[in-house]
Amino acid sequence: MNIIIVGLGGIGSMLCDNLLRYLNHLNVPGGVKVDLIDGDHYETKNSERQTFSRLGDKASVKCAEMNYKFNNIVCFDHKEFINENNVARLIPTGAIVFLCVDNHISRKVISNHCQTLNDVTVISGGNEYTDGNVQLFQRKGGVNLTANLTEYHPEIEFPEDQSPEDMSCEELSKSEPQLLFTNLTVATIMCWMFYSIYIGKDITKHGEVYFDISSMATLAKVRTPKSN
Amino acid sequence: MNVETAATLEIKTVAELRQMCKSRGIVGMSKKRKDIVIDALLAKNIGTATSNIGEIVKETKMPSKIASEIPGPVTAVSFGMKSILTKPSARMGDKTTTTVQVSCGANTAEFPVIGKTVGAVQEFLKEVLNIDRIAEGQVNGKTSTTSYVLQEGDVLEFIKPAGRKG
Repeated sequence: MNIIIVGLGGIGSMLCDNLLRYLNHLNVPGGVKVDLIDGDHYETKNSERQTFSRLGDKASVKCAEMNYKFNNIVCFDHKEFINENNVARLIPTGAIVFLCVDNHISRKVISNHCQTLNDVTVISGGNEYTDGNVQLFQRKGGVNLTANLTEYHPEIEFPEDQSPEDMSCEELSKSEPQLLFTNLTVATIMCWMFYSIYIGKDITKHGEVYFDISSMATLAKVRTPKSN
Repeated sequence: MNVETAATLEIKTVAELRQMCKSRGIVGMSKKRKDIVIDALLAKNIGTATSNIGEIVKETKMPSKIASEIPGPVTAVSFGMKSILTKPSARMGDKTTTTVQVSCGANTAEFPVIGKTVGAVQEFLKEVLNIDRIAEGQVNGKTSTTSYVLQEGDVLEFIKPAGRKG
């Protein structure tokens, strides 16, 4: 099983801790290989929402933590932001990709690339302050089983934000406020989706799950692919 | 047996309708208004039509081989439609209004918006469902124009933009 986690911020760092704990005890035939991808550094100001044991490159620090804690998985770090030049190298066919980035440009790059692969599962999460969503893009035998990330979301198809690679250090350090519990909810729903896929449940009818902490609501939606 | 429709009954006089009720065993119609008498006859017709279907099925016999190849009769139909009580003092049949499920993100509810356009519903419910200005309207899973008029059984979703941060 090849798991790839892209982005190790508030969502990614919490997803990583819990997903890998679960995977470690699964005894998956052939083992579990996990790739952690993030070009950012963990700093003291991130500690209110992110779980790292020390300061440094997020991918390296989290990778060392996971390899130390869990014996049955093998973790690799990739200290780079994902872009059109490296996406083909970092995301091969057959992978299960957890997309925990903080910008729509990266989501679009990965969605476009995965649309060219034969088999891939992408679970993509994102949030605002108290609400968010998780999308499932599944492709098998070159056919989309659910809509890709851009089909129902023009804001991802035509992103207005910047890639972290194109941002200055000052811009990167100015992050908008986020709530720990919102990040945690996204990570949890991403785990729900993975669990349902792992036990073989047909969740193509739940291509997108929304939640809203302020109204205590969760709602799953069908996302039929518009084109194949 | 001829099964009357509302239109064929409307053209009859009240006296004729009351006589029909009497001949069909519907009691208590001698002083009722014409519309109520018609409702009673239509209700009786539905019962008769249903029992006739049962009789036809019972009487029709065919070789078992052919019968096994023909799909059986429809015994159940499931569809999503809800009504809410909007006019408690109105006459029977007009008390409720059929609703449409409208959602945006995790927020969803039933609203009496049949006959309204998608654009009007978006404007009317933007505060209630926190509908984003750029949210696209989808009816029954397909992209809809703002001028589409909602009908019974429709499900309307305003696609909430994906969360950007992480």
